[in-house]
Amino acid sequence: MIKRFLSLEWKQFTRASYFQKGIAIKILLFFAAIYFGGAAIFLGIGMFFILRKAVPEIDPIITMNNFLIYWFLFDLVIRFFMQQLPVMNIKPLMTIPIKRETIIHYLLGKTTLSFFNFIPLFIFLPFSIVLLAEGYPVINVLCWFISIMVLTLTVNFINFLINKNNTIFYIIISVLALFIGLEIYQIFKVSQPIGVAFNTLYNLPYLVIIPMALMYALYKINFNDIKKGFYLDGTISKKADKVNTIDLSWMNRFGSIAVFLKNDVRLILRNARPKQVLMMSFLFLFYGLIFYTQEVYQQMPAFLAFASMFVTGGFLMTFGQLVPSWDSEYYKLLMSQNIPYKKYLESKWYLMVVAVAISFVLSTPYLYFGWKIFGMIAAGALFNIGLNSFITLFGGALNRVPIELNVKAKAFSNTNGFNPTQMLIALPKLGLPMLLFYIPYKLVNFEVGLLVLALSGVLGIVFRNFFLNQIEKLYQKGKYKTIAAFAENK
Amino acid sequence: MITTSNLSKKYKTNLVLNIQSLDIPKGQSFGLVGNNGAGKTTFFSLLLDLIQPTSGYIKNNEILVHESEEWKPFTSSFIDESFLIGYLTAEEYFYFIGELRNQNKADVDALLAQFEDFFHGEILNQKKYLRDLSKGNQKKAGIVAALIGNPEVIVLDEPFANLDPTTQIRLKQIIKDLAETKGVTVLISSHDLMHVTDVCERIVVLEKGEIIKDLATNEATLKELEAYFAS
Repeated sequence: MIKRFLSLEWKQFTRASYFQKGIAIKILLFFAAIYFGGAAIFLGIGMFFILRKAVPEIDPIITMNNFLIYWFLFDLVIRFFMQQLPVMNIKPLMTIPIKRETIIHYLLGKTTLSFFNFIPLFIFLPFSIVLLAEGYPVINVLCWFISIMVLTLTVNFINFLINKNNTIFYIIISVLALFIGLEIYQIFKVSQPIGVAFNTLYNLPYLVIIPMALMYALYKINFNDIKKGFYLDGTISKKADKVNTIDLSWMNRFGSIAVFLKNDVRLILRNARPKQVLMMSFLFLFYGLIFYTQEVYQQMPAFLAFASMFVTGGFLMTFGQLVPSWDSEYYKLLMSQNIPYKKYLESKWYLMVVAVAISFVLSTPYLYFGWKIFGMIAAGALFNIGLNSFITLFGGALNRVPIELNVKAKAFSNTNGFNPTQMLIALPKLGLPMLLFYIPYKLVNFEVGLLVLALSGVLGIVFRNFFLNQIEKLYQKGKYKTIAAFAENK
Repeated sequence: MITTSNLSKKYKTNLVLNIQSLDIPKGQSFGLVGNNGAGKTTFFSLLLDLIQPTSGYIKNNEILVHESEEWKPFTSSFIDESFLIGYLTAEEYFYFIGELRNQNKADVDALLAQFEDFFHGEILNQKKYLRDLSKGNQKKAGIVAALIGNPEVIVLDEPFANLDPTTQIRLKQIIKDLAETKGVTVLISSHDLMHVTDVCERIVVLEKGEIIKDLATNEATLKELEAYFAS
């Protein structure tokens, strides 16, 4: 039986869409995998020394243990938004003469093969090896490492549970909120006893039995939960979403684009994939922290200009590059209706502008780094609104990848941004703000650099109609190709 | 209303549709039958300019569909689920289509009121997104949406599939009314010979992209069709 299941898995893996892509994309994906894998391994190796340097008075392993809880929390949050659970895939197995329990074991076993369970392997395995090289006791390190991996699987099963069971979801969310609240207001630092717990786990290797018991318990809870609801209308069901009926009629004041704008807002609020994009674009806000805090980059203002553009451009780029793919599920409808392309595009443009504006407001804490940095963010925002938005929409028009709206993108199978035209289009997006800033900065001074970058954006706004018309032409030219591509199986 | 001339569609060397000439007058209820791969959906897709003809053309009310978009305001269609917007509720979807076809909320409400029977209490006020409705109910919503905005040409691909018997009977009445009393040109395709002969004044049989039969419906038509498909 297991052999058959494994062969199913293998077929699913090798026949997945990302293996059906062209050779160029395969190579790019390969390099991306190498890059990220390598980065994680280096982080794992370097972690020990970073920690020793940062907090020299404390043993790195203790510092590590104190911070582990944040790692697992982060892991859980990311999983909740990103990890697609394979529940529906077992539907065809339900009527086949296989024991129910076997299928459930298979289903749960399948989730352990998720990409998310392998990330810690890349980080903590090198870290543990460094620990051993540094002469830490073998038994302790080994058991600690096993505990981490087992706890990762525990998080995997917690995520499964909260995805399937609303009560447990709310319980866990409220407990977490409570702990985080206590932590922030310094009433009671929950992270401290947890840090102590992890340290105890390290010091007394036989306690590895506790995480194992925990994982077993969660596995069992999941198992029973699925077994109880092993019906099409139970756990196996596709969750029918609760309807949110927010009144959007106030948007009618936007005139002729209101009809599209209302739809786009609903698109974002009601589908898993756009929600993911929304969350990702929120993370972009923190992009500046990487650059502004490093001494090295202070001498390289071109990179700062680049980072500043990213701070406000997260949504613009992640959402914009997939216009019109967002509407791929019903593209035939749009094409057979009396739709003015320009209004359609304008609506998306307004969405992107509003997102940049909101990101800009949210980025005010960057004032902490001084007016120069904030000026760069402001200039970057203008560039985003005026030029980047059109470049992104232009790139989107060349991108004909259908999207399943209500399915979370899988890690590394999200190759939508990964076609050659998309890569070419990305170059001006990234390079242009650097050039626009750097040339006048070198020739005159910093302020003029900012001014030119900002003015380029204003110029874009002035010539908005021209740009929209050009993109519209592109849409019309590619109409049949786009329809055919969107009709293909995803 | 609809004129087809020398129309063909080839995918590489595979000829999937080849129609010398086919004219459909205004107000006719027109049925297209044929086995899988006969070219029914291809014909409709060409009519809606969703694919490009290899040769020839279709004129809709004297407008070349692959050159101008002027046919869109008076033509509406429901081909498959990709004509639905899954994340909207039925009402939101109807209003959206209404706005695209210059109908305000009251206009749409007035139209929907006529189809209360047809909906059978399963479409409106459901607090469900279209993607969570059953196939049959999705179809009902799609068909009614195609009636919004007083179109003069309505294209429905297999409207009877997935519908329950009561709804099938009601749909037949609706289609007949549209053609007979409102002068709407209705084009449908179907695998159900009985339904098409009930509804359509004229039935065309396609096989491998060619027109095999072109019948004005009478009592003998059903027998004739059955005999043809049985052999």
